Formats: sequence, structure tokens, C-alpha cells
Amino acid sequence: MQPLGSTTTTAATAAQVPMTAAAITSNFQELIKEPKGLDEAANYLYQTLVDDAVAGIFIETHHLRKTNNLTALDGVCEENAESTYRICEMPNLDIFGISTAKKPMDCTCPNCDRLVAAARFAPHLEKCMGMGRNSSRIASRRLATKEGTSASSSSSSTYLQSGNAGGTDDEDDVDWSSDKRKKKSTQNSRNNGSKKNNGKTF
Amino acid sequence: MTVSDAVDQYTIMSGDRSKIKDLLCNRLTECGWRDEVRLLCRNILLDKTGNNSVTVEQLIAEVTPKARTLVPDAVKKELLMKIRTILAENEAENNSN
Repeated sequence: MQPLGSTTTTAATAAQVPMTAAAITSNFQELIKEPKGLDEAANYLYQTLVDDAVAGIFIETHHLRKTNNLTALDGVCEENAESTYRICEMPNLDIFGISTAKKPMDCTCPNCDRLVAAARFAPHLEKCMGMGRNSSRIASRRLATKEGTSASSSSSSTYLQSGNAGGTDDEDDVDWSSDKRKKKSTQNSRNNGSKKNNGKTF
Repeated sequence: MTVSDAVDQYTIMSGDRSKIKDLLCNRLTECGWRDEVRLLCRNILLDKTGNNSVTVEQLIAEVTPKARTLVPDAVKKELLMKIRTILAENEAENNSN
């Protein structure tokens, strides 16, 4: 970590004046013999090493800055994030501040634009689009009425008419939506509706 | 032959230098000096950001005296004592040899 500046200078002087290990040792021992020399040596060594450490830390920091890691270490100021991502600790809210109360999940049917409870959406869509064995009758009937009315009236009225004609299963779809769910009456209304419808159309 | 050369050569040769350096680094890190100096370097670097004419050597010369004064007295005393005993030990060993 510390730069070896002092080491390299030592090597340079050693190259200039070739010295044996014994000479170095004797040199040092002579220096250290008196307490004053020892103090001086200790102080010098301490000072050098501290300076080396400082230079090391400085260069480390300098490197961090040059590689843009200093700003990365600082991190981004999160004033906005503070308010946006603050964890909410209200009793009836979740951590995002949204109510934990169960909200009705309704889907809009793409075919008849009606709100249908999510759990009932698939059965509804099946019926509404005229698939499956039970509803194929209704679907074919609806198709028949659509063809019949489209010949006589404009396209908008055709849509209305077909909506009315499909009212039989739409009626029970209203029952299926999450607000009011009556299973028994649905069965009745479906039967009644289909009977009624049969009477009307045929 | 100056004091610095003699000490440098001998300590590097005997391996005391790295020993003392390790000790010093550990002590300075323990007492938080390292973090203080890092902060100091950081501030100086951020101050001189726009100035391209300043060299690293100049900045180091600026930091060094401040960093020296930041070393706690107790740590400094302890380190000087340790260095002295290590140097003295070596002398004793060499004499006995």
C-alpha cells in the first residue's frame, strides 16, 4: 500500500556505493550505540512510516476519485426517494400505503363490456362468446337474431338488439358479479330467461 | 552515511521494517487515524478538483503535516517505544552473535 520511495533511494545509494550486509549492520550498530542515536533512528523510522502511510491513503483516495468510485461511495442523494419509498406503518395500510382491505376484483368482459367477478370471468366469457356445450345453443340463437336484425336495421341497432337478445345470460352475469351473488336464483333466472327468449325469438 | 540511509538499509535488510510497518498500520487503523486521514484526503481532493496544475506530490505535501498531527499521542508514544525496543533487540542479538 505504501509507496516504496525510501526503498528505491536506498537501492540507488547502495548501487553507487557497494556495501556488504556486514558493513550495513556495523554502520547501524554504531549509530544505535548511544541513546541519542537510537532515539533519532526510532523517530526517523516512525516519521517515514507515517508519511508512507499518509501517501498510501492519499493515493488510494486519489485513485478512487479518478475512477469515479469516490462519488459511487458517497452514493446518490435520496431526497425524493425518501418520500417515495418510505415504508408506511399505518394500521390498516400495507407498506406501500395502500389499503389492505380486500377490494372486489372485477374484470370487464371484452365481449359485452360488463363487469364480471374475476372468479366468474372465465365461465362468463365462455357463455358470452358462445363456447362450450351448454351455451352453444344460446350463441347460435344470438347469431341467428343478429343476422335477422342486421338485415332490417342499422349496425348500431344491431348491436343493441344482439345485446338484448343475449340478455338472458347477461342477466345472470349481473348476479355473478361480486356485489350480489345468488347462486340459486341464477339457476332460475337462466331457465326462465331462456324460456322467455325462446318464446320471443321463435 | 546519514542516519536515514543507515536505518533504511538496516531495517529493510533485517526485515524489521515490514514488521514495524504492520504494527504501525494496525495501531493507526485501530485508533481511527486512517479514517480521519482518508476524510482529509477526500476533502483536499474535492477542493482541488478543478485545478489541474496541482500535482499529487504537492497535495501529499499538504496532507502529510496535518496527518502527522492527527496521530494520537498515546499511539505515537507506544509506537516509538516499540520501534526502539525492536531496534535495540536487534543490536543485542547481533552483539551476542
